[in-house]
Amino acid sequence: MDMKVKGSKELLTEVIDAGLCTLCGACAGGCPYLVSYKGRAVLLDDCTLSEGQCYRYCPRTYTDMDAVSQQVFGMPYSGDELGAVKEIFLARSVDKEIHERGQDGGTVTALLSVALAEGIIEGVIETKMDDDKIPQGFVARSREELLECSGVSYEPSPVLEALNHLPRESTEKLGIVGLPCHVAAVAKMKTYPPQNRVNIDNVKLVVGLLCGWSLANGFHQFLQQNFDLPRVTKFDIPHHPGHTFDVYTKSDKESVELDEIRQYINNACSYCLDMTAEFADISIGSGRAKFKGWNTVIVRTDAGAELIKLAKAKHVLETQPTPVESVTNLKRAALNKKKRALNNIIAKTGDKNDLLYVGLREDILDNLLA
Amino acid sequence: MAGIDIDAPGTTELFIGNEAIARGALEAGIGFAAAYPGTPSTEIMESLASVAKKMNFYAEWSVNEKVAFETAAGASFAGIRAITAMKQNGVNVISDFLANLVVSGIGAGLVLVSCDDPSAISSSNEQDTRNIAKWLDIPLLEPGTFQEAKDMTKWAFDLAEELDTICMIRSVTRIAHARGNVTLGELPRKEHKAHFDEIASFTPTLTKFAPVLSAWKHQQLHAKLDKAQEIFEPSPFNWYRGPDKAELLIITCGSCWLYSLEAVNALKLESKVGILKLGTIWPLPQKLIEKHLSKSQKILVVEEIDPFLEGSIKELVADLPPASPHPTFYGKRSGHINAFGELNPDMVIEAIARIMDITYESRPAEYSKKAEEVPLTYMPPRLMTFCSGCPHRATFWAIKNALRLDGRDGFVTGDIGCYSMALGPAGFCQVRTMYCMGAGAGIASGLGKLGQFGFKQPVLAVCGDSTFFHATIPALINGIYNQSNFTLIILDNNATAMTGFQPHPGTGMTAMEEPTKVVSMDTLCASLGVPVEVCDPFDLKNTTETLLKAMSKDGIKVVIMRRECELVRARREKKPLYKVHVDPDKCLGEACGCDRLCTRVFGCLGLEWDKEAGKAKIDETVCAGCGVCADICPQGAIIKEAV
Ligand SMILES: Cc1cc2nc3c(=O)[nH]c(=O)nc-3n(C[C@H](O)[C@H](O)[C@H](O)COP(=O)(O)OP(=O)(O)OC[C@H]3O[C@@H](n4cnc5c(N)ncnc54)[C@H](O)[C@@H]3O)c2cc1C
Ligand code: SF4
Ligand code: SF4
Ligand code: SF4
Ligand code: SF4
Repeated sequence: MDMKVKGSKELLTEVIDAGLCTLCGACAGGCPYLVSYKGRAVLLDDCTLSEGQCYRYCPRTYTDMDAVSQQVFGMPYSGDELGAVKEIFLARSVDKEIHERGQDGGTVTALLSVALAEGIIEGVIETKMDDDKIPQGFVARSREELLECSGVSYEPSPVLEALNHLPRESTEKLGIVGLPCHVAAVAKMKTYPPQNRVNIDNVKLVVGLLCGWSLANGFHQFLQQNFDLPRVTKFDIPHHPGHTFDVYTKSDKESVELDEIRQYINNACSYCLDMTAEFADISIGSGRAKFKGWNTVIVRTDAGAELIKLAKAKHVLETQPTPVESVTNLKRAALNKKKRALNNIIAKTGDKNDLLYVGLREDILDNLLA
Repeated sequence: MAGIDIDAPGTTELFIGNEAIARGALEAGIGFAAAYPGTPSTEIMESLASVAKKMNFYAEWSVNEKVAFETAAGASFAGIRAITAMKQNGVNVISDFLANLVVSGIGAGLVLVSCDDPSAISSSNEQDTRNIAKWLDIPLLEPGTFQEAKDMTKWAFDLAEELDTICMIRSVTRIAHARGNVTLGELPRKEHKAHFDEIASFTPTLTKFAPVLSAWKHQQLHAKLDKAQEIFEPSPFNWYRGPDKAELLIITCGSCWLYSLEAVNALKLESKVGILKLGTIWPLPQKLIEKHLSKSQKILVVEEIDPFLEGSIKELVADLPPASPHPTFYGKRSGHINAFGELNPDMVIEAIARIMDITYESRPAEYSKKAEEVPLTYMPPRLMTFCSGCPHRATFWAIKNALRLDGRDGFVTGDIGCYSMALGPAGFCQVRTMYCMGAGAGIASGLGKLGQFGFKQPVLAVCGDSTFFHATIPALINGIYNQSNFTLIILDNNATAMTGFQPHPGTGMTAMEEPTKVVSMDTLCASLGVPVEVCDPFDLKNTTETLLKAMSKDGIKVVIMRRECELVRARREKKPLYKVHVDPDKCLGEACGCDRLCTRVFGCLGLEWDKEAGKAKIDETVCAGCGVCADICPQGAIIKEAV
């Protein structure tokens, strides 16, 4: 495990070419050398710096979990399955339009719309799909634009490139929605504030999405070949029962066996330990089969708790408790992801002491590897 | 300075070698001149074209050397004296027509001037075109002085007519571009009358102008050469200077005559070393050479590039009766003279000193060292690069980014022109093959057919506008016909920029500065049924996207990068496009977030790195104000304002 901050060349060899890149976009758009393009982080030219922010904020370069946790939560990393948790419950948007256009319960969009309306934030860095359903980072600044970002793409989205594109003198208060890898990169930025880039303190709200894996490795070509993408309105992987990947158009729904899709699982995700975006203010996933149309919500910080309170008070969000059994299942799934990823990393390096980017304390590691 | 058409016989003018050759052609009374530009030959045609109207003859820039030569031959067939001039590579292009023309013979005097470029200063290759004269049985002259350049050219037309075969003049860069005294002769003021006599008549006859009965004609050609040799024996273009019996005999020709003379003088060996300077190079004046061979037991042959004289003279010696003396030869084969690159007096001095076992120090070693250091201290080292504001830099920037973004190991097959510099950092080393006019598209056409062997890399063939007309069109059609896969990028800067902005079929202007029909490459390509996109390379974003789109499609695609050569624009408009400056507060310099992209990678000469300030700045004396750097700066620190 190499703790040194290095440059773009090492980012290329240790992360991008090594198959670890999640395409979070943290390295992209902050300088002329690194950009994202159609599902790849691309180095356009030779940068000579031996230490760079591209390398520093990448969620797949060495990450000192204690330092990051200290910054975000004011305490060392606990190692708990779901990370720092204040509250877990089920929620959905009361606003019908948001609920309808949302992926599950529309909770993400509902919360952001409140935060925007109340001036907690002025813009949200989200993911928007273009006509061909290629996901890109996008700054939403109105309810309309939030709705344009509703629903998910299962392909990796270089969300943070949009953050890096903001002018460094900007004072706009920001929210960010991202997967665990995006959230980890943002946490690293908070821990080691960027130079010559937009002030990371402008980020007032981080909403994480629960994530098992994303789909890459030619998945987009698969979509292109099998669907008329501009007509597609929604992608979904509903949990039990079904095991399908569903593609909706205005009038139609087509299902593909999930087993047919598995070949496209992003290889980089097999090295990811985080299922619940542990460094977010609020983490949000689907309510699973039993609670279709609802979201599982994990509140982690005071800022997160405040926002939930506000949303409920404004009757934007309705909630209900999560059954104990669901929490147990969630914990098991999260723990499994950690264990699987660690084993995959060790299999890749062939060395129990080389855990690539994972900067966990011995005691936590011992527990996970036991 | 007077033009080449000054009518003052007997007076002396300063001419560069190319002007002297052009003047010779005028004195020979040519009616027709055609060429394709190529350094170091270009000024021959340029100076002829500039006086053509006034002197009542016709001059053209042709689409390529072969066509130029063929048009000149057409004029000759109709009784008009004609000249064509080209660089060494052009001779390769014309070689098929040439090889057949020598079989038939000519009409009126027809002269081919080939300018070789020893050391390949302005060329892709180094090549000695004297060899083609021997190969194809062509009488060949090579001037050693500027006066000779004029006189030989004039005489070559008479010779061509007397022998009924094309005659060739070989020149080299140091004759072509150096300047010397030329005493002028008469300018004939004759009315040209063109008529093709070899028309079909009622009795069946064979035309003269076709290579038929070629074996028999080949024999006749040999007879013409025998006659040429006889004419050459007493030629005033060959002379000897030196003692009757010499310790060393130098045999030389062309520019090496002056180097040899200087070397002998510097060594003060005038009484010991003789120089036989030859001007009639092929066929060799055998008797003259044999006569001088007896002057010394040691022969040093001084010539540039190939051992042409050396080998040919050794052939003569091999035929001498066994009893006659067989001297020792020094030259390229013995290693005394380089068989590559330009020569200079020092090299000849060194060779003579080695052979004669004398030590010679032209200057103290200490001084030499200093002299070598001086230019390095006062002259900033500069890589070959595009001019500031050159559209090619922007084009290759877009190409580089498009290829990296595409990510399938795509690459560029290049061609001949200013943009060949994209082999190096000027064009971010994007050009990965570069051979001869038109080869970029030809090679791409082959690469694009390798799909069945797993080849998936996108291929971008790059050619200039002039190169497109010159030799790219057949390769493009080949690619379309054979269903190959590549993108042809035509860098249309509306000029033959590399050789000095000569017009071409796409410019709407002729060599004689008459407006003409514009041959539209857009329409031409579109008529071949392939998609054609036109980009402004200064619009980096659109250009990159267009290239990416083209690469994503199978088949042949044409992308035209249209933006006038900056030198042409600046000459006309006399002001920059934008006023450009760097805002030091915004410039990140070496910090993370830039790492000097503009000066370190983009590399326009208009940008300077202010080391002390740690900021970039604009060198206003060099910046052409294209504003492209403002679009690449990640911080918006480069500001362009309208002028
Ligand atoms: C790749 C991926 C894998 C996921 N895996 C799981 C899982 O295993 N279990 C689970 O419970 N939930 C998972 N989710 C989360 C789930 O799909 C919903 O996003 C979540 O329940 C929020 O629903 P919502 O109705 O509130 O969303 P909405 O209100 O519709 O908001 C969706 C939000 O997701 C953002 N978004 C869309 N695509 C992406 C993307 N590719 N990357 C980052 N952000 C994106 C949009 O910008 C928007 O802000 C996954 C999401 C993604 C993108
Ligand atoms: S400028 Fe900074 S962020 Fe960009 S490649 Fe170089 S080190 Fe990385
Ligand atoms: S994981 Fe993110 S930061 Fe790391 S290389 Fe990939 S895109 Fe860049
Ligand atoms: S590219 Fe822009 S920021 Fe970078 S050194 Fe040049 S002027 Fe400065
Ligand atoms: S504007 Fe920039 S790129 Fe253009 S000539 Fe000036 S320095 Fe060079």
